[in-house]
Amino acid sequence: MSVIYLKSAYDTPSETVLEAAAKAVIEIVEQVDLTPERLLASRGLVTGNQLDQNAMFGMRETLAAFLDAGRRWFLNGHIVRPMLDGMEQYRPIQSPRRADFVLTPLNPHPIFAGIDLRQIETNKGVAGFYGRGCNPLPKGAVAVNGLGEAQVPVDWAWARPGGGRVFSHAGNDLAAMGQDWGLSPELTRRILDWAGGGACLDPWPSDPLRPTGSRPLEEPEIFAGAKSVPLRPGRIVAPSVGSYHIIRRCDHDAGRACERAST
Amino acid sequence: MITTPEELASVLRPDDTLWVPCRTPAQRMMPQRQIIASHLQAGGTVVALGESRSDLWLPSIDFTETPTNWWWWRDRDADLGVSIVAPDHPLMRGMVKEDVTWHLHGWFMPPAGADVLATDAEGRAILYVDEVSTPGRMILSTLDPMFHHGSHFMPATTRFLDRFVPNLKAYLHA
Repeated sequence: MSVIYLKSAYDTPSETVLEAAAKAVIEIVEQVDLTPERLLASRGLVTGNQLDQNAMFGMRETLAAFLDAGRRWFLNGHIVRPMLDGMEQYRPIQSPRRADFVLTPLNPHPIFAGIDLRQIETNKGVAGFYGRGCNPLPKGAVAVNGLGEAQVPVDWAWARPGGGRVFSHAGNDLAAMGQDWGLSPELTRRILDWAGGGACLDPWPSDPLRPTGSRPLEEPEIFAGAKSVPLRPGRIVAPSVGSYHIIRRCDHDAGRACERAST
Repeated sequence: MITTPEELASVLRPDDTLWVPCRTPAQRMMPQRQIIASHLQAGGTVVALGESRSDLWLPSIDFTETPTNWWWWRDRDADLGVSIVAPDHPLMRGMVKEDVTWHLHGWFMPPAGADVLATDAEGRAILYVDEVSTPGRMILSTLDPMFHHGSHFMPATTRFLDRFVPNLKAYLHA
């Protein structure tokens, strides 16, 4: 059994990912080729920030069964569909300033062992690439790293009550961080290792540090979802691949440029 | 109407406008190439935004990818050099230069007869309308406003979409 590296974007995966695939440690699977059978046959899943969340929402029962069997899911990006019970929509920091992007550890995790978080906080001296908000902590999840004084939990790990573990990095793909310091290959290896059952919070903290929560976050947005619309001439038809940014904008423009088809 | 690339064959009609969002992975559009070509042959309209490699699934596109300078704005006096060269075009109504300025991913060499709406610092097309290559119409850009609107921190991308989308609807129904 190998870890599935789900390829949702067009870009070729990194050299480190390709090497892992060549060694059969992972299997690179195109988004459209992910079937329930294939997921259930793997031992871990890594998804990127352009994940097709519509497709994954459609597979939510399989996702739950996959994790219930004790598997791991490393998730990059902003959650917009509740692909698992307990997941909530991404919440950006309200009107962030530079100080809101300072990255600090709350409950140190092996993925970041020995890494100076200042080296992944910025990209060519500019902060904000790492993350600008959080996927809210599911009940029982442990905040790993926080942003700013409020320690907005941009990274968290979750031992699901039903089984399995999820790691959420609410930003651009974690494996692409730290390029100024050559950290990307090592981060990639650690993420793939974790997804395959590697070192995690152990023992699971019984009383983890929690974010102070003093920083306002944007309120969740309301997405209309599917509704019946009459066919009419001159429609605008958007072939959505279910990524966060496409769902967010197409749903925003619903009624003006995009309309949800009835299912 | 929101659908998926894989459902286009059963959904797309000639009087529809196909709006392909930026950062739509090209490998999901390439299998739909013939359906889209038929749509254009039937007089249909296609809008394809940036980072979607439209050159891989649309006809008559000459696209050059360029490295993206994410940090040009750090110099307070810097100017990315983007220009709206057709300010009176209906698609550009209400827009100023700052609404099409965030960063660039490439440029086009449009066919003769195409309407170029915005260019980069070297005068190369980054947004244009092609009504000459097919019986239909293609509106093409290398700009990727939706991805960065989704990232919650590039207000220019939100301004662009808040103007471009209603302009597009008015333009299509004119």
